[in-house]
Amino acid sequence: MILRMNKVRVLGPREQYPEALCVLQDTGVVHLTVPGLDGRLLPLRLSVWQERESGHLRRLLADVEVLLEALPTTGAGVGQAPRAGPPGGLPARRDLTRWARLVGGLRPEVLGLRGEMAILAEEHALLSKYGPFLSTFGVILRSERAWPHIAAYHVILPAQEESAVAGLKTALALVLGEGFALETRRLPGGDIALLMLVPEADALRVESLLAAAGVHEIPVPSGYEARSLAQALPRMMDRLESIPRELRVREKELERLTALYRDELCNARRGLHDRLRTLGAMPLLGATQRVFVIEGWVPVSENERLAESLATSLGGETALEVIDNHPRGEDVPVALRNPGFLRPFEIIVRLLPLPSYGTVDPTPLVAGFFPLFFGFMLGDVGYALVLAALALLLARRSIPGSLGRSVAAVAGTCAFWSLAFGVAFGEVFGNLGREHLGIHAVAFDREEALESLLLLAVAFGFVHILLGLALGVFTARRHPREAAGRALTAGIVVAGVVVLGAGAGFLPEIALLPAAGALVVALMALVAVEGVLAFVELLSAFGSILSYSRLMAIGTASMMLAVVANDLGSAVSVPVVGVLVAVLFHLVNFVLGVFSPTIHSLRLHYVEFFGKFYRSGGVPYRPFGHWDPGVGRT
Amino acid sequence: MELLAVTLGAALAVGLTALATGWAQSKIGAAGAATIAERPELTSTVIIMLAIPETMLILGFVVAVLILTRVG
Repeated sequence: MILRMNKVRVLGPREQYPEALCVLQDTGVVHLTVPGLDGRLLPLRLSVWQERESGHLRRLLADVEVLLEALPTTGAGVGQAPRAGPPGGLPARRDLTRWARLVGGLRPEVLGLRGEMAILAEEHALLSKYGPFLSTFGVILRSERAWPHIAAYHVILPAQEESAVAGLKTALALVLGEGFALETRRLPGGDIALLMLVPEADALRVESLLAAAGVHEIPVPSGYEARSLAQALPRMMDRLESIPRELRVREKELERLTALYRDELCNARRGLHDRLRTLGAMPLLGATQRVFVIEGWVPVSENERLAESLATSLGGETALEVIDNHPRGEDVPVALRNPGFLRPFEIIVRLLPLPSYGTVDPTPLVAGFFPLFFGFMLGDVGYALVLAALALLLARRSIPGSLGRSVAAVAGTCAFWSLAFGVAFGEVFGNLGREHLGIHAVAFDREEALESLLLLAVAFGFVHILLGLALGVFTARRHPREAAGRALTAGIVVAGVVVLGAGAGFLPEIALLPAAGALVVALMALVAVEGVLAFVELLSAFGSILSYSRLMAIGTASMMLAVVANDLGSAVSVPVVGVLVAVLFHLVNFVLGVFSPTIHSLRLHYVEFFGKFYRSGGVPYRPFGHWDPGVGRT
Repeated sequence: MELLAVTLGAALAVGLTALATGWAQSKIGAAGAATIAERPELTSTVIIMLAIPETMLILGFVVAVLILTRVG
């Protein structure tokens, strides 16, 4: 449901406005608005000093965020989570000074450590590339000094250029005859390490040959300048071993800093956000020479608590008055509040803009119909159990109140209805249960009873759309002509369905004449109330009801795909392969069978159902309060 | 001859509506992809919009079922 709001005004002596703001922030229930200003009541602008303070706090906050990002979040050094709940009051000046000093001292140290670690990691990655070469040709390379007149060339070729080795051998044989040695080894990653030994006198010719072939020797990294890679490699490998030790030293230092300062930095972040919120709220206050005025929206249920908090903290000099207890209009903020078992379904409603204040929160109805439609379309015991298992897994891996937990709750309810309809249709992974487990349909066999299913789907649509039209009458209650039009449309839909039902023999024939009479009268009344264009709305209502036939169509398609999966599996002569084929097809069908009903159930709600009553455009209720790390909005 | 007409009628009911749905979805899909590139928060809305033309195909399927079960 949508929480009822009151518009309230807080009045008090001008010098008390900081304390009043503090109380409002601690209470966290007032959605601030700009008060009605006149010649005497002016907005409370920030002073030059406060503007400077705001800029300074923002820079300090940015530094705190950088430090929290740079300090490790796991490991022995991390302390307990920052204290829960509102800190109760804004940071004192001495806190701000302490945080500024802390950040000023910590920032260069932490960022310096992070910078050194980045350089070390980069160096380690570079040197690691030489490791395979050393391990492959280590013995030959170590004896290189024993060949005074031999030049060695070291190359790593990508795996896809393996064929170049043969070409290189041929070219070397042409130039040097038999006076060279060429060794190749495949490296673990697939690349090819290549070592060439040639007479020093022929080195220039070989280098030009390599250059012409586009083959480049492994460069010796900067800092290891030496005559050859063979001389540099041992030093590089020593360095490679020492880098992890150096990295560990820096990590330990960061963990030590985390243990010392992370909690304090978290408190600083919270305090700075709170102070910035207070400064940001000040232009929403009005003031004269002597008094301040704060206006805002408060849920009716929170009025008393707010009044008590103000009276306790500020005494009798500050007053709270309700200036509008029956608000209307688009500026009233909207807060949805539903019981715990319905709350997960708010994620479906929140995909659209919020409903306007004074209209209907459709969450309870969505909680009823969305899983029902989903279950009707999926309708398979096997798929329902898989979905339930996935929902359970997601519920265990998500924290309460998170999006994941809400999705898990919705999926669990959908799985329940899929199971119920699966039992009704007698389906376990399509016709598998019927053919091998002896299960039979309790209500309908979806392979055979297509017309019955179609009628049931349209009946769901009839109920849903009628409910939507009834809610439309409620939401249009302040516009009598519109409300009457919707009520008449609902009446025509009912009368029309009775006429069709009686005509087709589904309903007693005696109902035909009264229903037809009511239909004609209601049609004439509708034209009188809303004009000829009302027929468009009427046709749209009947079209919407027919649109629910998708419940049957998608369900049938899903069931047929499951049957095809079973048939394909049994058509394969090798049983193991047949099972694998069937499992693969069922997997694809399960993904489609979850995705498609979700989309179409959403569509039936958003387009057909909500279209009859839903008025979007509600302003989200954002009370002025303490910064919440979970929301992260300042 | 009658069987051919019934089968052809059912095939046309599904085939033509599938073509119409595909054409509409191609237009919506192209615009939707551009929308998501600029405003990823509208992804769910775009997916819903993309599902709207499927009504044609679904109604075509229903008509085909009726042709096959009633006439066939």
